[in-house]
Amino acid sequence: MNTLSSKAGLTTKLYEINWLLVALVSLVGLVGVVMIFAATDGVWSRGAQQHLIRLIVAGGLMISVAMVDVKVWYTLAYPAYIGALVLLVAVDVMGVSVNGSQRWLDLQFIRLQPSEIMKLAIVLALARYYHDLPKWRISRFFGLLGAAILILLPMALILRQPDLGTTLLVAATGVAIAFLAGVNWRVIGGAALASTVALPLFFRFGLKEYQRSRILTFLDPSRDPTGASYHITQSKIALGSGGVSGKGFMNGTQRQLEYVPENRTDFIFTVIGEEFGLIGSLLTMGLYMLVIGLCIWLSTQCKHVFSRLLVLGLTTTFTLYIFINLGMVMGLAPVVGVPLPLISYGGTVILTVMTGFGLILSAHLHRKNELPRSHS
Amino acid sequence: MADFDEGIITRRTAILGAGGLGVFGVLASRLYYLQVVKAEDYRVLSDDNRFNFNITIPSRGRILDRFGENLAVNSQDYRVVMVPEQVKDVDATLKRVSEVLPLNDKTIKRIKKDIREHAGFVPILIDDHLDWKTFSALNLNIPDLPGVIPEVGEGRFYPNEGIFAHTLGYVGRADPRDVQKDDDPMLRQPTFRIGKTGVEAAADKILRGAAGKLKVEVNALGRVVREWPEPKDKAVDGKDIWLTIDAELQRYAAELFEEDSGGIAVIDVMTGELRTLLSMPTFDGNMFVSGLTQQDMNRLNNDEKRPQYNKVLSGGYPPASTFKMAVMLAGLESELINVEGKTVCTQKIRVGNRNFHCWKRGGHGLVDMRDALKQSCDIYFYELGQIIGMDRIAQMGRKLGFGTAFDIGISGVKSGIMPDPAWKQAKLGNGWRTGDTLNASIGQGFVLATPLQLAVMAGRLANGRKALVPNLLIGQTLPEMEDLDINPEHIAIVQDAMWSVCEEPGGTAYRDNGVGIKGFDMAGKTGTGQVRGISTSERLSRLRRNEELPWKLRDHSIFVGYAPYKNPRFAVGCIVEHGGSGSKRAASIVRSVLNKALERDGIKPVTEAKTREQSL
Repeated sequence: MNTLSSKAGLTTKLYEINWLLVALVSLVGLVGVVMIFAATDGVWSRGAQQHLIRLIVAGGLMISVAMVDVKVWYTLAYPAYIGALVLLVAVDVMGVSVNGSQRWLDLQFIRLQPSEIMKLAIVLALARYYHDLPKWRISRFFGLLGAAILILLPMALILRQPDLGTTLLVAATGVAIAFLAGVNWRVIGGAALASTVALPLFFRFGLKEYQRSRILTFLDPSRDPTGASYHITQSKIALGSGGVSGKGFMNGTQRQLEYVPENRTDFIFTVIGEEFGLIGSLLTMGLYMLVIGLCIWLSTQCKHVFSRLLVLGLTTTFTLYIFINLGMVMGLAPVVGVPLPLISYGGTVILTVMTGFGLILSAHLHRKNELPRSHS
Repeated sequence: MADFDEGIITRRTAILGAGGLGVFGVLASRLYYLQVVKAEDYRVLSDDNRFNFNITIPSRGRILDRFGENLAVNSQDYRVVMVPEQVKDVDATLKRVSEVLPLNDKTIKRIKKDIREHAGFVPILIDDHLDWKTFSALNLNIPDLPGVIPEVGEGRFYPNEGIFAHTLGYVGRADPRDVQKDDDPMLRQPTFRIGKTGVEAAADKILRGAAGKLKVEVNALGRVVREWPEPKDKAVDGKDIWLTIDAELQRYAAELFEEDSGGIAVIDVMTGELRTLLSMPTFDGNMFVSGLTQQDMNRLNNDEKRPQYNKVLSGGYPPASTFKMAVMLAGLESELINVEGKTVCTQKIRVGNRNFHCWKRGGHGLVDMRDALKQSCDIYFYELGQIIGMDRIAQMGRKLGFGTAFDIGISGVKSGIMPDPAWKQAKLGNGWRTGDTLNASIGQGFVLATPLQLAVMAGRLANGRKALVPNLLIGQTLPEMEDLDINPEHIAIVQDAMWSVCEEPGGTAYRDNGVGIKGFDMAGKTGTGQVRGISTSERLSRLRRNEELPWKLRDHSIFVGYAPYKNPRFAVGCIVEHGGSGSKRAASIVRSVLNKALERDGIKPVTEAKTREQSL
């Protein structure tokens, strides 16, 4: 059975890919195309077209990644992590500054955003870390220290850029993987306690002024009615005025009159909410839940710690994207600049997310292949 | 089959999964809250976002003369305004604007003050009265300058080079006091102009109209995307104001004044309508509309002829000999005086320990009442005044309009002074002296009158029956004129004497007969208002002629008169400041103005040759 599947022909292998996930992901991407089309006043060339092209290209990449044996990804986990760290350092030293944040590395042919690579690399590295770690060490000091180093290094570098959203995403994903791997509750309780103490300190000393201001504004919107909270207020107006059934496709006034800034990218959900109302919003969320649920189910099919943690870790990242973005748009979370995956306009995120789904598909496709034995 | 403990990962997956579901639940309920529970509120807010109410300023009413000629109009005004809330960086924006349209520090300070004092959505004026080139250059640049809006508005324009400036007044920006008194939302629009002085101020509510509200759909940048005019919210244009003034006549009078300073009023002796109300020199009201420069201000303030001072309404001058009609009438009405009674003028009369002089060197010799007025003999009036006393004089003076501030609908009308013993006691705290009566008898001393009052006096004498009340605004409801309450026979005696001044050889205004009124006789009286004390030594040696004196010390030239002598139509009061004797500048101006007024009125001359016989 094992031999058959590992030596199966290319076509057979393609056939065995979980096409349901591919279909659901594509559907979400198409929702993105339609909503970008609306957000740009129906001008095909102002984003929708490019979003579609990117989906197709990234879709090809996803399938390619899926076809590669998960063992290869297992082998590449640490090199990828180290590579991503190096790139993060490089971006700190020689990166291009956009909107006051130094996140980009200009490689002439492509603008690379190392923090995006790190989102995948951290999952690979931690999945491998826990795959290789003897089970009894998971909650021991050195076991915890290793995981902590793996998580904190990229966090520190990404925070320096500064990119609070991605930092939190990486941290949360890392903690989630550690949790899934089986860190015991005492440690979890201790960590929770430590972070309650550390958070205020971090808030005071670890953040840039504008980041602090965004959070303060989130807590008290009347602080700054035209500045930072403008986003949140206008976004809530767009959603709320949509009502149950929405104002109709291409009929959103908030959108037409450009009251919600960046509604093509981070705030695209406001266009869905305004034009398709509660029904459209819930359908979109339902679509996401299907994708996430399917991924979780796929993870249970995997027979290795690495594959399972890989799938769950990537699913966690994807889910966190959605939570942070929707929370932000609905005024439940501060504005941190996290896109709605697959729907928001923006190239790098599509690449990251689709590669992530490629890895999930690969883990599932090669779920029965041998990996170096874990020490559990 | 798994090579690890499936249990823990599966359990933890379930925990995270449940947590995730919980978060989705929270998000969904939040959506329900926003899109169902609060949907109505947000729909309203969303509409608020779309709609703004802009105040629209209606056209200001024009001010017209009696024949409909434009005295104050609205002209197209190219200007540029800025909506502060749409401007990210005011300094940078102003800097960019000043690359096309130079702005000085004062303007920038004013703009910033306006920004502080108004709500962010109110357009603030950057500059107005732009030429077409600058305006189009700004239009080219607006895409780079959000919040900066070039617009074509209406600006007040006064044709006629200021000849009507004192009467019309001018408009200007509403100041905090205006805003406090008046809650009209227009006043808070920085492009709005409110009447500051003259008719513009007095009739501002009528001229201003009513503000309109324009519902506009705006995008997030504040740019108007669509307008939703609603008929009930339309601005109502201001109404025109018609003046009794005859613009052509006033322009003519202004020309006659040339460079001289003073005031002239022409009044219809039947209706009291003012055909001319001119103060000279004038100033250009247009300067005030957009804000006066410091240079203009200095020039106006430093001019010794005081262009801004409305002399015809506010200037108090000794009426001098033109007051003699009042004294004469008071004498006739007192019945203490015999019309034929004569006195001898030897140029000098001693009262108490003081000498009072007649203006004529060597005196007039034997004069009766008629001669005294005709030749303006001071000695006769000194004696007359002494006989009847100051109270009678003052009473008659008031009957003829002295000491009254007439309400002609605009501000600045002064009452002058009609003194009497009670007034002096109250004002100066000392008693009335005979000398005061003597001075008052020849219209000097404490007596002060405005050119308007002189015109009214002449008008009342010409009318003879009604106490003429001057008016300026057509359509204003006027109180019924009271009876003058003077014996018509006595009026006729005064009228005849005034006629002799102008039309009989020896009359003080007879010299100008060469330029008399074609086909009509006129009646009048000269006055020479002394503005300096004459020392005994000067009087003994030789009186300096006016031409030898500095302008400021020369006598005021005064004349009152009316025409035609028979069936009078117009009366005039005129003062030429430091213009020398009344028989010269003022008399010739009045003669020409009366001539022009009759000509414009289209009255055909009737035979007046026998006028004199009839009146005698």
